[in-house]
Amino acid sequence: MNENVLEVRNLKVRFGKKVALGDIHVQFRKGESVVIAGSNGAGKSTLLRCLAGVIHPDKGQILYAKDVPREKIAFISDGLSLFENMTLKQGLDFHLRTFHIQDPDESFFQQLKFSLNQRIKSLSVGERTLYHLSLLLSQKPAVLLIDEIIHAVDPYLREKFLEAVIEAIDKYGTTMITINHTFSEIQNIPERVLIMEGGRFILDEKSEQLKAKIKKVVTDADIPSGIPFVFKKEAAFGKEYFIYPFQDDFRRKYPHDFQSLELGEIIKALIGGEYAKKRMS
Amino acid sequence: MIRFSIDSSSSVPVFQQVIQAIKLEILSGRLKNGDQLPPIRELAKILKLNPNTVAKAYYTLEEEGFIESKRGSGNWVNTKNMKLDSFRRGMLEDEFRLFLDRAFSLGARLEDLKNLMERYAANE
Repeated sequence: MNENVLEVRNLKVRFGKKVALGDIHVQFRKGESVVIAGSNGAGKSTLLRCLAGVIHPDKGQILYAKDVPREKIAFISDGLSLFENMTLKQGLDFHLRTFHIQDPDESFFQQLKFSLNQRIKSLSVGERTLYHLSLLLSQKPAVLLIDEIIHAVDPYLREKFLEAVIEAIDKYGTTMITINHTFSEIQNIPERVLIMEGGRFILDEKSEQLKAKIKKVVTDADIPSGIPFVFKKEAAFGKEYFIYPFQDDFRRKYPHDFQSLELGEIIKALIGGEYAKKRMS
Repeated sequence: MIRFSIDSSSSVPVFQQVIQAIKLEILSGRLKNGDQLPPIRELAKILKLNPNTVAKAYYTLEEEGFIESKRGSGNWVNTKNMKLDSFRRGMLEDEFRLFLDRAFSLGARLEDLKNLMERYAANE
């Protein structure tokens, strides 16, 4: 389980004068599920594109494990570029040929029950996302990179998408790296959270540990200075404070009700905290 | 047969919630010795969990002797050598301790709790 599937060293990417990624170091383990979050422009998509080999970094190395050839790296971008005029069957054949996939798993493709003779352009955005996913799962991916695309998928298809990803993780031990910030249904999947800001990682934690470290307090008054918080928000009943790092003895020291949060709310608070910092500076 | 759901905002880790829920199914008798548990992939899909989380829960349940894993055929409830009564008592005590914590944080006194219990017992 502790084997790395992917290691990134000294990664730097610039677009003109803008530094998109500034010296990224990170490792991903075989079979782990990771969510990368951060505000817009933090560098998430650029990083994912580098991992997928779509962008060549200015500096640094992206090292996949020896047993991970190109065709085992699957990438769903937010662009979903497919050949519109092909039928679904032609698209599948083309995909298998292009990536030299010898022994494809077409089970998910068949589960979709799409008519094979319709053209790709006749699919809705959600259907197209699932179709794209089915092409990628046919190659039994070792690494699955998912950009923010699932936001465009309706709740029913999103569930199908998620079930397919769960199946892939179990069947092939796929490492999933996804970019997301508004998620309710996938929040029990990621085992690790990375938060980016200004082209760097500002947080890298196991989900369970992060949940233990961040709590919410709702109060009318200010909280005592002994309690550190990352973000403060005006709410209907007083102020909401997002406490981080939380320590267990706060419960004994202070009378406040320290509430646990869902991963989605935690990520929202941490990103909000970064915006608040930017406004201050 | 799955009667439980996961509380994503709970401070109890998700794999612990799965363990607790399956133990409850076993201790209450809804799952019996020899019953088959859902495959890891299926339970993960139903609860929208990472299969690794479900696998970790099953593995812990096997270590604790609640279930038996047969390679290739799945996971089965195995309570032949278990003292279910003492586990049941242990679980009741855990729940009771949680309840007491909350009750005392609401400012309840022992007297209040006694009265409450008598009132409820009389109504039953």
